[in-house]
Amino acid sequence: MHLVKENSELGSLWDSEFIRQHDVAGPRYTSYPTALQFHEEFTHQDYLDAVARSNASRMPLSLYIHLPFCASLCYYCACNKVITQSDEKKRFYLDALIKEIRMKSADFDSGRPVYQMHWGGGTPTYFSEAELTELWFEVGRHFHLVDAERGEYSIEIDPRTMTPDKLGLLKGLGFNRISLGIQDFDQRVQEAINRVQSYQQIEELMEASRNYHFRSVNFDLIYGLPYQSVASVRGTIEQVIELSPDRISLFNYAHLPQRFKSQGLLPEEALPPAEEKLQILCAASNQLLEAGYVYIGMDHFAKPTDELALAQAAGSLHRNFQGYTTFKDADLVGLGVSSISLINNVYCQNTKSISEYQGLMEASASPIISGVMLSTDDEIRREVIMSLLCQNWLVPAQIEEHFGIVFSEYFRNEIMELNGFVQEGLLTHQGGVYNVTPKGRLVVRKICMLFDIYLPQHMKDGVRFSRVL
Amino acid sequence: MSSEHDCKNRVPTRNINVSCTDCSLNPICLPVAVNDTQLEELDNIIKRSKPMKKGEHLFRASDPFASIYAVRSGTIKTYSVTEDGEEQVTGFYLPGEVLGVDGISTNIHSNSAKALETAAVCEIPFEKLEFLSAKIPSLQRHFFQLMSKEIQADQQLIMLLSKKSAEERIASLLLSISTRHTKRGLSASGFRLPMSRNDIGNFLGLAVETVSRVFTRLQKQGVIHVDGKEVEVLDMQGLCHMANGMESNAKSA
Repeated sequence: MHLVKENSELGSLWDSEFIRQHDVAGPRYTSYPTALQFHEEFTHQDYLDAVARSNASRMPLSLYIHLPFCASLCYYCACNKVITQSDEKKRFYLDALIKEIRMKSADFDSGRPVYQMHWGGGTPTYFSEAELTELWFEVGRHFHLVDAERGEYSIEIDPRTMTPDKLGLLKGLGFNRISLGIQDFDQRVQEAINRVQSYQQIEELMEASRNYHFRSVNFDLIYGLPYQSVASVRGTIEQVIELSPDRISLFNYAHLPQRFKSQGLLPEEALPPAEEKLQILCAASNQLLEAGYVYIGMDHFAKPTDELALAQAAGSLHRNFQGYTTFKDADLVGLGVSSISLINNVYCQNTKSISEYQGLMEASASPIISGVMLSTDDEIRREVIMSLLCQNWLVPAQIEEHFGIVFSEYFRNEIMELNGFVQEGLLTHQGGVYNVTPKGRLVVRKICMLFDIYLPQHMKDGVRFSRVL
Repeated sequence: MSSEHDCKNRVPTRNINVSCTDCSLNPICLPVAVNDTQLEELDNIIKRSKPMKKGEHLFRASDPFASIYAVRSGTIKTYSVTEDGEEQVTGFYLPGEVLGVDGISTNIHSNSAKALETAAVCEIPFEKLEFLSAKIPSLQRHFFQLMSKEIQADQQLIMLLSKKSAEERIASLLLSISTRHTKRGLSASGFRLPMSRNDIGNFLGLAVETVSRVFTRLQKQGVIHVDGKEVEVLDMQGLCHMANGMESNAKSA
């Protein structure tokens, strides 16, 4: 069975016509079921039962820590965040977070190794050196972090809060991967989104990150921002290629000013129209491919030598709330306001309100306010969707073996539509294996949506999803 | 050469019973964060063990991480043991410097620490510090600040040393020791190297012969004067230039 595909096929196949034809609004499937399925009847006992099953499984752990503060507002941002200049507010949150670390870590068997940890925000690096050290120390004392050689420890960095020396601290603490929020190098764009940072700043940080031997550096970029054009984004991508990050995330900006107030501060008339946005995406993606980057899937690119690309080639790529990862089968413990955990067959989420979170922690109460327990059907469908997203293939025999079902019967309706996708060139079907074609990978979520049993109801309820465009 | 000037720079071996109040290192150590009454409480949690003899271990790799240590006098070297059983020196700690933070991630020390000469350390146990910090929040904050500075400085040194020529590495180390002396209010230009040429070579990834050769060259160029372990910096600017990979302005001998 030839399951590993050549990435080079993708060459300049980033085809605007094809995307236009197949792009549909849909979930990004960082989880299945998606967060829309979480409900508030989920109890603390449900959580404790899941933890007990999780401890019995002896699976390794993965940690996500949410640090929601930012010094200033980036107008496009739709994350859970708080803009503050107050050190006291940060301190108050840190105390609550440390309490949660102590409480939650006590639920899990202390020997369970943590191979993966991610600090996201907000702006994690808005915390001071001393606070970052304190937080790492608390995590290290309450969870069993493996050493930095074997672990994958990453942090999101706002370059405007970072210096080469502070990078040295992050390395010394044990972080081995960093992700820089770049968005766009064009000054006009930067001013419009209220996030001005120079190329020189980034260049300096890149040099320091190489000297400190971080294993991988990721750049976050956004297309669809005000004043972007094919030409301006080409300029940004050229500079990105010059700086040579190991990974690149190229995210779509979805303009929803009714839902995210700050987006109303963007000059609406300067937003690129849909057709131009599509041209920007295709041009930028092709430019990255020509420079030797490999398309991993769902907004992500990596150098062919990066672990992510190697893992995909080897069929060992996975996906969770932080995006793609090389680690399989770890239970995810989310810490901090709004963070999501995946424990055994349960997803659960902390409260999204910072004041409620701090109140609950002060009262030593559980911050989890919603969740969902996966049914067997959920688990089957999750495996199908993750296989499509991460491995770009679907091997019915594997699903049958894993779950003891007959694929053709279980997915009778879906198979008919799958065959339609084969006709349309999104998939090939050979030797009992569905392979996502290079073009199909550009719109892979369309295939995934076929297996999402909750989607028809959400569509009916008028839930708005993001699209490629 | 052992001038009067050099001797004054020698760190005197302190009375092990000296309290934080009387310790000359207190401006760069924990006490800076607390007032006089609190200082007494801090004093009570700090363990001052009897002086360590040369070659004695403070902790060993894979020991549980429960305390960090501040050097009061003497010099401590940290090292790890490679897979082939070779010792790899990872750092030198002078009075006023904090060590043991290598355990912060994993709860286990990844290095061993050994006295290079008679030394005294203050042990600061975490649990007790935590207890005290509940009463004195500024103490804990200062503690983590101290710790972050140490981590940062370690990384900087490792980074600098990893990318330089033999001459640059040795100049960087000499400059680092000189700067650390200044921090304690001592002379920048005259100090004693507490470690052997072997340890220097091991730390810098250089053969011991190379270390000796570079020392000789620096001396011929009039940048430093060396007498056994005593070093006098004659041309500070030249040393800085060398550490930064620039041509030395020093005249060749």
